[in-house]
Amino acid sequence: MNALKGNPFTQCLRYALMTCLRTLNAILLPLALLMPSLALAADAKETVKTVCAACHGVDGNSTDPQYPKLAGMDQEYLMRQLKAFAAGKRRDETMAGIIAGIDPVDFSTLAAYYGKLKPAPGNVKDADLAAKGKVLYDDGNTESGVPACAGCHQPDGMGNARFPRLAGQHQVYVLKQLADYKSGRRATDPLMTTVGKRLTVDETKALAEYIAGL
Amino acid sequence: MNTMLTRSIGSLLAGFASTVVLAAGNLGGAGDWNAPYAEKTEALAMKGDVTRGEAAFVICQGCHRVGALGRADGSYPRLAGQHATVLIKQLSDVRSGRRNNPKMLPFADHQSLSVQDIADIAAYLQVLPIPADQGQGDGKDLVHGGQLYAKDCASCHGLRGEGSAEKFYPRVSGQHYRYLQREARMIRDGGRRNTNPEMVEAIRNYSEADIEAVSDFMSRLPVEKAR
Repeated sequence: MNALKGNPFTQCLRYALMTCLRTLNAILLPLALLMPSLALAADAKETVKTVCAACHGVDGNSTDPQYPKLAGMDQEYLMRQLKAFAAGKRRDETMAGIIAGIDPVDFSTLAAYYGKLKPAPGNVKDADLAAKGKVLYDDGNTESGVPACAGCHQPDGMGNARFPRLAGQHQVYVLKQLADYKSGRRATDPLMTTVGKRLTVDETKALAEYIAGL
Repeated sequence: MNTMLTRSIGSLLAGFASTVVLAAGNLGGAGDWNAPYAEKTEALAMKGDVTRGEAAFVICQGCHRVGALGRADGSYPRLAGQHATVLIKQLSDVRSGRRNNPKMLPFADHQSLSVQDIADIAAYLQVLPIPADQGQGDGKDLVHGGQLYAKDCASCHGLRGEGSAEKFYPRVSGQHYRYLQREARMIRDGGRRNTNPEMVEAIRNYSEADIEAVSDFMSRLPVEKAR
């Protein structure tokens, strides 16, 4: 949050750094794939530092809102998502390139690492919109058959092994996931596909705003 | 040309005939409303587990609310304290297309629930407490509602609205007025295909005012005494 509000110079520097890291990853990952011995030599902790952290942060609290915060998410859930990315059931251009470079035996260590980290709070920008989101989150929409999010994700958004933690997640990321469920691009859970299809765009915006403040 | 025409008419008639057969199968005669089918029979024979049922019910509570209390606006019924047999029949009927419920279907289909889940959820719901805070009507026509209930409903749903687990008749006490009203209307108008035809017959001539009155009466049946 502070970084986002930093002076233009810091922002510029941060952006340049992130871009460099991403470009490096884009070059290094295929290289690592070409050299299996090298890829196997790197242990999971090394993977966090050299691969995951560039987007998700070392502390699991990504600063770029297009990448999800992973800190505090249930390990089983994270594990399932890694497998879904690897199997192509969850599609994302960035992750597709990255998952191919991670040894599946490291998935559980990575999931455990991020699951144990402390989640940072989100950033609500529009309190009125969040208030609308709260109604939908707690009560659903009886007209369109959208269930209350609280039913599965719990009233405080803490989630569990089956349903992911939502509390404090970036708005941009939540919106992207709901849109992907709606379009079928993300097909990791048939229930969420139904929910995604029933939500209006305005409803997803309100929900994302409320979830950021949980 | 003639042959083609005959063929088209033939296939049209065949299509029509199969539609009629299907429709007749769906509507059913007496007894068909609760005819056995593999999945329902299987779920009814299973031993439901309350703890597992509570965990499985999580995907239902976004609509039916925590504690399966439903909503007073009638959008989602109260399920707490309903007979397990009734719940298994209705849930199985929804997912097999015997009862229309497009809102609920994706949450009850084979991707979402196993047959064991159905037995477990039913076992869990059956023992949940029924608080006496269900939605009620305006109370203006309770005498009429009571007369209708005694004449047309009590013989199956029980004098105190307790229903019958054995006969698959739902408990109506403790249910929200708006839900009772909505379903009674749907049953009267033939929209609930898995209903006992005796029930449809009993309320066939009910006016809107009759439905409101009897629903209001049912929503006020004492729950504690019924349990």
